[in-house]
Amino acid sequence: MESRLLKPILAVYVGLFLLFLYGPFIVLGILSFQQGPEGGPQFPIQEWSVFWYKHILGLAPPSRVSPLPIGISLTRSLTLAGMTMVTSTVLGVMAAQAFRRNFKGKSAAFYLIVLGMIVPGVLVGLGSALVATTTGLERHWYSTAFATHVVYTLPFAFLVMLAIFNRFDASVEEAAWSLGVPPATTFRKVTFPLIFPGVLSAMLFAFTLSYDEFSRTLFSSGREQTLPLAIYSTFAVEIHPNVFAFGVLTTLFSFALLTVYAILMTLSVRRAKRVAIQEAV
Amino acid sequence: MRAHVAEGSVLRLEQLTKRFGDRAALDKISFSVNSGEYVSLLGPSGSGKTVLLRAIAGFEAPEEGRVSIVGEDVTRKPPHLRGIGFVFQNFALFPHLSVFDNVAFGLRNGGDKRTESDTRRRTLEMLDLVGLNGLETRGVHQISGGQKQRVALARTLVIKPKLVLLDEPLGALDANLRMRMRVELRRIRERLGIPFLHVTGSESEALAMGDRLIVLDRGAISQFGPPGEVYEHPANPNVAKFLNCYNVFDGSVQGDAFVTNHGPIPLARRVASSTPAYAVRYDRLTTRADAGAGLSAAYIASEYLGSAIMHFFETPDGKVVELEHHLSNGPPDAYEAGRTYRLSWRPEDGIAFV
Repeated sequence: MESRLLKPILAVYVGLFLLFLYGPFIVLGILSFQQGPEGGPQFPIQEWSVFWYKHILGLAPPSRVSPLPIGISLTRSLTLAGMTMVTSTVLGVMAAQAFRRNFKGKSAAFYLIVLGMIVPGVLVGLGSALVATTTGLERHWYSTAFATHVVYTLPFAFLVMLAIFNRFDASVEEAAWSLGVPPATTFRKVTFPLIFPGVLSAMLFAFTLSYDEFSRTLFSSGREQTLPLAIYSTFAVEIHPNVFAFGVLTTLFSFALLTVYAILMTLSVRRAKRVAIQEAV
Repeated sequence: MRAHVAEGSVLRLEQLTKRFGDRAALDKISFSVNSGEYVSLLGPSGSGKTVLLRAIAGFEAPEEGRVSIVGEDVTRKPPHLRGIGFVFQNFALFPHLSVFDNVAFGLRNGGDKRTESDTRRRTLEMLDLVGLNGLETRGVHQISGGQKQRVALARTLVIKPKLVLLDEPLGALDANLRMRMRVELRRIRERLGIPFLHVTGSESEALAMGDRLIVLDRGAISQFGPPGEVYEHPANPNVAKFLNCYNVFDGSVQGDAFVTNHGPIPLARRVASSTPAYAVRYDRLTTRADAGAGLSAAYIASEYLGSAIMHFFETPDGKVVELEHHLSNGPPDAYEAGRTYRLSWRPEDGIAFV
C-alpha cells in the first residue's frame, strides 16, 4: 500500500533530479551543433552543423570569430593536473598511513590538512599571489598555482585513503612482519596491493579537481593561463557556440578518464580472483 | 604424557607489564617455554591473553619487563627480527595471493635470500605436510575455513620460526573441524619440534593440547603446570571456575567446616588462597547416597552430552549447582522438576580455598 504510492513519487523525484542535473549539459550539447559562423548561442537551431567543432580543431575557414586559445593551455592544464595528481596522492597515502597511529597533535594535523578544501578558493589564490609578490617569487602555473592545487586536492586524496585504511585489516601486515618481512617490503607487497582501489580513487579526485580548478588558479598562475582561465577570458568578449562544442569535447574526455579508471579498478579487483577462475575452468 | 624433555628455554618473559591508561593489561608476567614444548594459555575474555601474545610477537610494546628468545633480549626489537611465528584467529591470509604464494611469502620476502627453486621445494613440502596438495593455485577466498587454517599454519611454519604463537587458532572453525584440527596441530608440531604457545578461551582445548597449561586471570598468571595437575589441583577459586568442571561456593571457614549459604561442609583438602571458596567437581556429586558432605537443591533441567548427562540444580538462594553423570556408570537417575534433592560428595573430593 505504502510502497505503491511511494515508489512513483520517488521515481518522479529522481527523474526531476536527473533532469536538473543534466538538463543544462543537454542544452549545451544541442546548441553546440548550431550553424556557424552566424549562429548564436541560443535557440532556435537555425541549421544543424558541426561547424563549431571544426572551428575548435582549426579546420573551419577563417571568420570573424577568433579561434579558442586552447592548444597550449590544454597542455598546461593536463600537465598541472598530472603533477597535482601524483603529488597529492603520494602525500595523501602517506598522511593517511601516519593517521593509523596515534601521535601528538593528531587532530590539529587533521584539521590543518582538511582546511585546504574548506577555505574559499579565491582567498587562497589571492593569498598565494600576495605571498609570491612579497617574497619576489615569480607566479607560474607550475609553481605557485601547483602549490595551491596540491593544498586543495590533498584533503580529498587524504580523506579517501583515510576511509580505505579505516576498513583495512591490519593483521595481514602483522602477519607479514611475523614472517620476517621488513615493514617497507610489507607495504609494497601487502598493504599497497590491498589499498590500490583507494589509491586509484584518490588519483581520480586529484586529477579532475585540478583539471577544472578556476578560483585558486586565477590569481596564482601568472600570465600563462590554464584551460579554465583561457576559456573564461573568451567569455569576456563574446560567447559563441564554439565554447559549447568545447564543453562537449572535454566532457567526452572526462568520460574517457572515468572509463580508464573503471577498467583499472575492475582489473585490480579481478586480479585477486583470476587464479580461482582458472582453477574452476 | 610429556613428549619432550626441557632442554633450556626458548621463550622467557621477565616481569612483563603492559598498561592501557591506568589499567594493567599485563601485570608482571614471568614464565618460560622450553624447546619442543606445547604450552596452552587459558584465560577468560579480558584476561589479557591476546595482549600477552601480541607483546611477545612485538606488535605491542610493554612498559616494563623483558622478552627473551633463545637467550637473546628482543624486547625492543621489531616483529620481523624476532623469529616468532604468529597464527591469527581470523587467519589474516593475504587476500590478493594464491595459496602457494601465501605460503611462499615469508621465504621470498624475508631476510634470507634463497633461490626460487629452493622456495618452491620448501613450500610444496610444507603444503604436503599440512595436507593442502593440489590447492596451490587456488585463491584464498576459494577454500574452506579448515583449509585457510592450514594455509595460515603452513605460511608460519615454512620459515622455521623459533617459536609459534597461536591466537585462538581454532576459534573460527566449527566444532567438528575443531576436534580434527586439534589432532592435526599436535601431529604437525611433533614432526617439526617447534615450541607452540597456544592461546585459547576453551578449557577443554587448553587441557587437551598443552604439555603445560598457563591460566591467566586479569593480567596475571594464576597457575602454570601440567593439565592434569591444574585440573585436579586448581590453585585458586578462579582457576576452578575457568576449568568449567567445578561447582564453586562462596563462604568462610569456621572451625572444622566451610560455612556456605547452603550449610556447613566438612573440610578435608585445604589450599591457601586470597579469597575463600569451596570447590567440588561436577562429576563427584551424587544423589544416590549420602557421602559425607552435601547440600540441598531443587532440580531444574538436564543436558545430554553423549557420554554423560549434566543435571542442573538450584539452591534456595539461586546458586546453580551442576552434577555430571557419566553414562558408563549406568543409566541416569530420573529427577522431578522442582523437587529438592540432597546432593552429596565425599569430603576429600572437595577443595577448600582458605
